[in-house]
Amino acid sequence: MKKTVRVLVVDDSALMRKLIPRILEQDRSVEVVGTAIDGHFALKKIEDLKPHVVTLDLEMPGMNGIDTLKAIMRQQHKLPVIVVSSHSTTGANITLKALGLGAFDFVAKPTNVSAHMPEIAAELIRKIHAAAQSSGMQAQFLPQEAKPGHHTSLRPIAPTHIVAIGVSTGGPNALQYLFSQLPGEFSGSILVAQHMPDGFTELFAKRLDEVCPIRVKEAQSGDLLVAGRALICPGNRHMKVMKLPLGNVALLSDEAPVNGHRPSVDVMFRSVAEVFGPQAMGLLMTGMGEDGAVGLGEIRSAGGFTLAQSQQTCVVYGMPKAAIERGYAMRVADLQDMPNILQAQCASERSRAENTELRRGTGAGSNQS
Amino acid sequence: MSGPPEDRMSELRSLFFESAGELVERLNDEAMQLEKAPGDQETARSLRRTVHTLKGDSAACGFRELSELAHDFEDVLTLENKDLDSAVPPIALKAADVFAGLLQAYRNGTKLPSIQSLRADIARLAHPHSTSTKATRKKAGKVSAKKMQWTEYEQLALARAAAENKRIHHVLVQIDPQCAMPIAGRQMIQLALAELGELLAIYPADGSHQPATQIEAAIASDKSAEAIKVKCSIPTISSDVKVKILRVESAASSVAQEPVAANTGLQDSVSAASHPDSPINRGGTLASDDSADEKAPPTEESGALQGAHLADKLLRVDAERIDSVLNLVGELILAKSMLQQALIEFGQRFPKDALRGKFSDAMAFQGRVLNDLQHSVMKIRMVPVDQLFRRFPRIVRDMAIHCGKEVALSVKGGQTDLDKSILDSIAEPLTHLVRNAIGHGLETSEERVRAGKAPQGNLRLAAYHQGNQVVIEISDDGRGIQVEKVRQRAVSQGLVKAEELDRLTEAETLELILRPGFSTADEVTELSGRGVGLDIVQSVLTRLKGTVEIETVAGRGTTFRLRLPLTLAIIRALMFRVDDRLFALPLNAVAEIARTAESEIHQVEHYDVLQLRDDVLPLLRLGSKLPAGPDTARRKLFVLVIHSGERKFGVIVDALEGEDELVIKALDDQSVKTDLISGASILGDGRVVLILNMIALMERFTRGRAANAGSQMSGLLSSTIHPNVNNGGSRAGEQLKHAAGGQL
Repeated sequence: MKKTVRVLVVDDSALMRKLIPRILEQDRSVEVVGTAIDGHFALKKIEDLKPHVVTLDLEMPGMNGIDTLKAIMRQQHKLPVIVVSSHSTTGANITLKALGLGAFDFVAKPTNVSAHMPEIAAELIRKIHAAAQSSGMQAQFLPQEAKPGHHTSLRPIAPTHIVAIGVSTGGPNALQYLFSQLPGEFSGSILVAQHMPDGFTELFAKRLDEVCPIRVKEAQSGDLLVAGRALICPGNRHMKVMKLPLGNVALLSDEAPVNGHRPSVDVMFRSVAEVFGPQAMGLLMTGMGEDGAVGLGEIRSAGGFTLAQSQQTCVVYGMPKAAIERGYAMRVADLQDMPNILQAQCASERSRAENTELRRGTGAGSNQS
Repeated sequence: MSGPPEDRMSELRSLFFESAGELVERLNDEAMQLEKAPGDQETARSLRRTVHTLKGDSAACGFRELSELAHDFEDVLTLENKDLDSAVPPIALKAADVFAGLLQAYRNGTKLPSIQSLRADIARLAHPHSTSTKATRKKAGKVSAKKMQWTEYEQLALARAAAENKRIHHVLVQIDPQCAMPIAGRQMIQLALAELGELLAIYPADGSHQPATQIEAAIASDKSAEAIKVKCSIPTISSDVKVKILRVESAASSVAQEPVAANTGLQDSVSAASHPDSPINRGGTLASDDSADEKAPPTEESGALQGAHLADKLLRVDAERIDSVLNLVGELILAKSMLQQALIEFGQRFPKDALRGKFSDAMAFQGRVLNDLQHSVMKIRMVPVDQLFRRFPRIVRDMAIHCGKEVALSVKGGQTDLDKSILDSIAEPLTHLVRNAIGHGLETSEERVRAGKAPQGNLRLAAYHQGNQVVIEISDDGRGIQVEKVRQRAVSQGLVKAEELDRLTEAETLELILRPGFSTADEVTELSGRGVGLDIVQSVLTRLKGTVEIETVAGRGTTFRLRLPLTLAIIRALMFRVDDRLFALPLNAVAEIARTAESEIHQVEHYDVLQLRDDVLPLLRLGSKLPAGPDTARRKLFVLVIHSGERKFGVIVDALEGEDELVIKALDDQSVKTDLISGASILGDGRVVLILNMIALMERFTRGRAANAGSQMSGLLSSTIHPNVNNGGSRAGEQLKHAAGGQL
């Protein structure tokens, strides 16, 4: 029996203040101890009610969500905050900002509750439990804001390796940290499957692109896998890879969710393992569940390099744990060591990679490198 | 928090409708504020937040049309485009109307109103100059999102082919809309293309299952355009084929050098993609415009705290629950009266018993608490009049624009509390009076200036407490009502006889305009300044046991004064006997009680009248008149002097019974077939008291006089009420008791 998780719901909409507790009622181990209409009340109620997790609306009169979040993060005990985000460009923008400020995770504002209650409830409850169990790690690796992206003008250089990254809860911050530490001339081509809803990934990619030396882009079918660039799989699609005569490309597909996820890390890992074998690198980072663990094993058995994030630096130690327990991770590393490990892996095998088909196959690009 | 999920859903639904209604009202207010101060950031933000919340709430409840509209509107508001400042308020007002319409349709399950016009307005707001605002891109993105984008790989292939000096054709094949197998058809076209040369790029991509009306492709081929065209023209599959030479030089080089950078540009040039020729020069333009004006939205929102904080302490409770508490309080009051009665009897039986004092102390204490309890419960039902008043700025604005008049509205006393059900009931009459004041009462600016007034007309709404009543005033400083015209019209419409008119006071004359059937003809309304369907005011007020007073000064303006009871549920009443039956009247209607004798009552033109100090008071006899005789003449009587509006009359009663707080219980139609009785109550000793409907009484009185049938007024009640209703034993009496809810 799990310990009861005390939740404070902060939202300026009267309906949401009723609806969210209703949703959470379905899990007996979650108890909504109070609601608040804006940040001021929230902070006061946090003091009075001592919740374990806060769900936070970002658009509120008075003290808005971002300010509230900042205030919570200034407190000694940093409560895990789950942002309830609306489906709009603005909503996605400030949601990402909130994640940057240390919010644990986010869920999309519930839509059409009567039809989708089970899914909505399952996701929110899952995240609340994860938040309650989190180590408060999210605050430790807050990425430095906007190291101006001094992009090297990007040429289609064929990469030495294909670095596939699977990540979920805690991902936005971890990825921003990782990417901000990789140089613009990083020789690998990065693919990311981040569990995130449709509509958020584009902005997320844009944001990373602005603040990281490497290029970051939301993937489209037919995008080339080039060195020094990360492709983020769009929400609600799967991403695979393919070799073509003139170069290697990412392909998006609409197959059914795998492990309950779309994008699924396993789908991407498997494809990368099949297509690139020893040139594949798999990196499984913070996140709930087990998505990616099996796929990481396939990269390993295909001869690629596999790496899992350490428990200490994970916001949620779920996916890496699943891979480590199965013996699929060749190395386990702290987040702050990952940039170096990736660079070292790419460099050490560069000479070997020089002769691979991976490079030969690349057309226009290879002439220039 | 129990009950099956459907119940919870319906509870959420009703919560949604309630809060959405408030949001729409807030939207209205904010739009009008913004209209007064265009570009005010604080207001603009809070307006956007209102739309935002409405969007989220309606999405949660699955009301798609509303949430999508609100979503689009919110997106436009996010642009914070200075040029739009003046365009936003009217559209926000329109949005408020459309949203309200949608809500009503959702609630009633009726057909949704048209939203096209608002949608078009919002779209215009989104791209006034048709260029690449975010909303345009988004809209375009919805319709033709990936209509045509060569992928990075395809661009690479094109660049390669161009570098090798291959001839590249751009082929556009329209798929026959009648085509029975579009996907297979697409494959056939693709095969045909592949046979012609090297297929460099094709959209939709191979294997894509999305429906497409056309295929766009680039092939490197030595064949002539004509040959390609022929090859691609497959009967029943393709309806039209266009072939052009694709100049890839510029495109090719830029693609070759910077495929990735070029591609980021792709997303931002959807608007360009809507030009039919664009695919050809796309390659060249790609890298150039990164018009992504994704300026960071304002996140530092240091909004004023406003009254929002109060809201957190508010509790939404179904009105029915409060009513049931109120009912119980009513029962308690009855119980108190019973105890009181018992105590009196006890005192009579054991006058010296020490227990009496204790009882009476306890009774007094209980009485005080009960009184507080009653008031607290009553207060729960009370809401500030402002809930109603806040609608009027919008109504006044619209009406003023409609009539081409300048109107300044001032509102006073919005904090005055009034029973919620009463407030709801007077919304319509009040709206009517306000519209009427603007439409007919106030003059146009020119007229006003000619009359030596300020060009802007003034309309005043005020609410205040007076005694046990709430008074709501609607006054204008317009042309006033011309009493003479009202007289003429009333006669010509047969509402009164000419000879009756002289007897009517000015106030009574004015009240004629509230009669049903008083002219609605334009000619008259223009002359009289008033008159369209004001009878609704009278009928609602009558139902609420309130009154209407009209004051007017020609050329100076008119005031309508609505007097309403604070609440409908409990009244302080004066009880009296007529023909040995117990009746009551609301205490606040009784201005004075006069003692007199039958001999003092005189007859003037079939009326009973009484000389009261300097006034001659017309009398209304409720009971039967005793046959004349010496005893009768000396018989003592009481006359209750009733003030209603501007009128004054006396009610003859046999004896007074005292005053008490009565919990009014409605009666069903079977018990009482007259509108003279507005309800009943049960006293502590179990007796039933009938509460007279003063307005109906007065109505009967006036009509009786007008019909020149004053004599028939006497015995009014004797004939209209079942004779047994008071003596408790009969079926009717039982029924009444039952209706009155007592288990007595």
